[in-house]
Amino acid sequence: MFIKKIVIFITILLFASLSLSAGTFTKSASSEPVLVQKGDEKHWCCVCGMNLKMFYKTSHASKSDDDTHRQYCSMRCLAVDMDTHPIDVNEIQVVDASTQKLIKAKTAFYVLGSTVEGTMSKVSKFAFASQSDAKNFVKEYKGQIVDFESALKNAKESLVSDTEMITAKKTKKIYPMGQTIFEKMCLLDIDINKYGAINELKSALQNKKLCKPLKEQQLQAVALYLWELKRFGDLEKTNGKIQVTEEEKCPVCGMFIYKYPKWAAQIFYEINKKEHRYSFDGVKDLMKFYFNPAEWGNYEVKTKGDITKILVTDYYSQKAIEAKKAYFVLGSDVYGPMGNELIPFENENDAQTFYKDHRGSKLIKFEEITPQEVSKLDE
Amino acid sequence: MKNKINVYLIEYAINAVLRQKYKSFFIVSVFMLLTFLLTSVFFITNSIKHELESTVDALPQIIVQKIKAGRHYDIDVSSVDGILEIAGVSDAVARVWGYYYFENAGVNFSLVGIEQYEKQYKNSFESIVEKFDLTHNEDDSFMVAGEGVYQTMQQNYYKEYFNFIKPDGTLKKVNLAGVFDSDTNLESNDMIVLSKETLREIFDIPESKATDIVVRVENPQEIQTVASKIKLMYPDTRIVTNQDLKVSYQNIFDYKSGIFLALFIVSLFTFFIIIYDKSSGLSNEEKREIGILKAVGWTVDDVLKEKFYESFIISFFAYTLGVGLALAYVYLFQAPLLRDVFVGYSQLKTRFELPFVFDFQTLFLVFLLSVPIYIAATIIPSWKVATLEADEVIR
Repeated sequence: MFIKKIVIFITILLFASLSLSAGTFTKSASSEPVLVQKGDEKHWCCVCGMNLKMFYKTSHASKSDDDTHRQYCSMRCLAVDMDTHPIDVNEIQVVDASTQKLIKAKTAFYVLGSTVEGTMSKVSKFAFASQSDAKNFVKEYKGQIVDFESALKNAKESLVSDTEMITAKKTKKIYPMGQTIFEKMCLLDIDINKYGAINELKSALQNKKLCKPLKEQQLQAVALYLWELKRFGDLEKTNGKIQVTEEEKCPVCGMFIYKYPKWAAQIFYEINKKEHRYSFDGVKDLMKFYFNPAEWGNYEVKTKGDITKILVTDYYSQKAIEAKKAYFVLGSDVYGPMGNELIPFENENDAQTFYKDHRGSKLIKFEEITPQEVSKLDE
Repeated sequence: MKNKINVYLIEYAINAVLRQKYKSFFIVSVFMLLTFLLTSVFFITNSIKHELESTVDALPQIIVQKIKAGRHYDIDVSSVDGILEIAGVSDAVARVWGYYYFENAGVNFSLVGIEQYEKQYKNSFESIVEKFDLTHNEDDSFMVAGEGVYQTMQQNYYKEYFNFIKPDGTLKKVNLAGVFDSDTNLESNDMIVLSKETLREIFDIPESKATDIVVRVENPQEIQTVASKIKLMYPDTRIVTNQDLKVSYQNIFDYKSGIFLALFIVSLFTFFIIIYDKSSGLSNEEKREIGILKAVGWTVDDVLKEKFYESFIISFFAYTLGVGLALAYVYLFQAPLLRDVFVGYSQLKTRFELPFVFDFQTLFLVFLLSVPIYIAATIIPSWKVATLEADEVIR
């Protein structure tokens, strides 16, 4: 009898310690998850393609008017899908993070901004059917209890910044990785347009042997690369650095360009059907030449109409970018080989960041650059 | 012709050198020893500096480490997402690596985990990924070992695989897929490259954790800004930029150079004592020789020329001999004894080749420090004697 008591005591202790060590909260399903979508693609989110079992506790499901069921990895993907699909808000279901069953989202208690990481969002959102479960969760992981509407509102508001975060990760890491895996492991003649959603593509990749067996992470990388990039062309391979020879000198200041690859800029002219190229060691000199080529010597260039393209070097990525689409920051604390510079950026966000970081005085587009502005830089 | 080299004078000078066999031999050997010591020291330092610099250049631009209670701690892999968001960062890789102490041989291996499809943070890994398949399975794992590790394994009867002892005491058998050699041996000799999953199993590191994060910044001018942004984002981290690393490597190196500086000063001091002794006066015999030569009809000019040839022959011969010996000692025999003073910071006694770096400047410096000084030290006292009247000297 005594031994039995000890055994019971030990098992209780064990369980207690197990539940105490729940500090590592996982979002994946602990048992077989409920999947409402049909076919082999039901294992993945229809918007982002992530594995539903792995992010089951933040999963949402919806029903369209035509009675198709769709399931998402998170409220973020639901919010994205609401823009494009007719979704009945009253039919939205969510996984109860404690019982792991699908419940009505409308009546659920959402915990917003707990210390547990969110799925595809900086702010995590977990739903509970009972208020006491939600309160227990808050006790351990903080956050606040709200209803479905305000949770959804929060998801929609943070959509832009969340997408930004995800895009940064995708372009810098996942697409290149997906591409190498695709080229090494998959059949190269996959017709992507055949598939209606990313989860269909993913299930085809896995089940129709389009790729050699891949791990979930690798499969996701391939699917994202194919779905979001290859479908619309490919990784821009031409977007390399500006190429200059060792002989090329800046027509304005006479310095060798190859010594300052970080600042290289080029104008391409077409004169008498022949391409002429002039390279500069900075946008400032390029602009001086652009406004008045005759001032810098007897060049064949006559009009701006002869220009075929203008390339500048993006400050952050060091890649060649089209000047007419670029953003320029003036008066920053970063100096080029010729002193004050117009510093080019491919996208506005980067330009804004640089503007703040390096105390720029002006952020303008190519058309807004004037000769006065350029000469002011030399003062 | 005044400037024409007088062959007879040279002949006389050679004969003079040969006549005073013991004295010449002594001077040549001391002189040679000095140049040998100096040049081999310079050769070794240059080679190691070259090796270090190429190692440092291959280092990642920013390393992010989590610090907890003042110690290095495993960092969350999810931090990579935040870092990637920073403008200017072109790539961030969560590294998994560590040291494995192999008790039988008493050495440490550095174990580095790489992911096959990721953009590698080191060029040498790119070729490893190309050449070897490092897939990780339940029962079949592969690794690629550095030359030094391979030798150690061979000596310990591990021909085709190696058993790693996991933290829980069980064994993890990893097959040897191949041996790699990198351009610089200093960093790769004690290295084993495996897949991240295998390494996670050996070190028991969970999927969500990594040893540190390396960050690639396309524009080197932005490294400081990015580093400070990461620090703001994750205050519990230590950010090490490649500039910091360069400085600390340099510090180790400079400390060791100090030992050489001491050696250098001592040998230089010895040399100058010899010079001083020589220039403070000629022996009676030498004075007599100059006197007789003058009596025979030699001009002061002739005497000085002869003395110049004599000292030049001795010093230049000794100098070339010393440099040649140093070249052979350092690059042919890989500088036994001397280089141990320098190479002492790696766990596995790194067996690396000193790369051949020919630095004309240092050779010239040693030349200037020795040959002209010696020549001057011979000519000046001779000139003092030669300007005197012949009978005065002989008497």
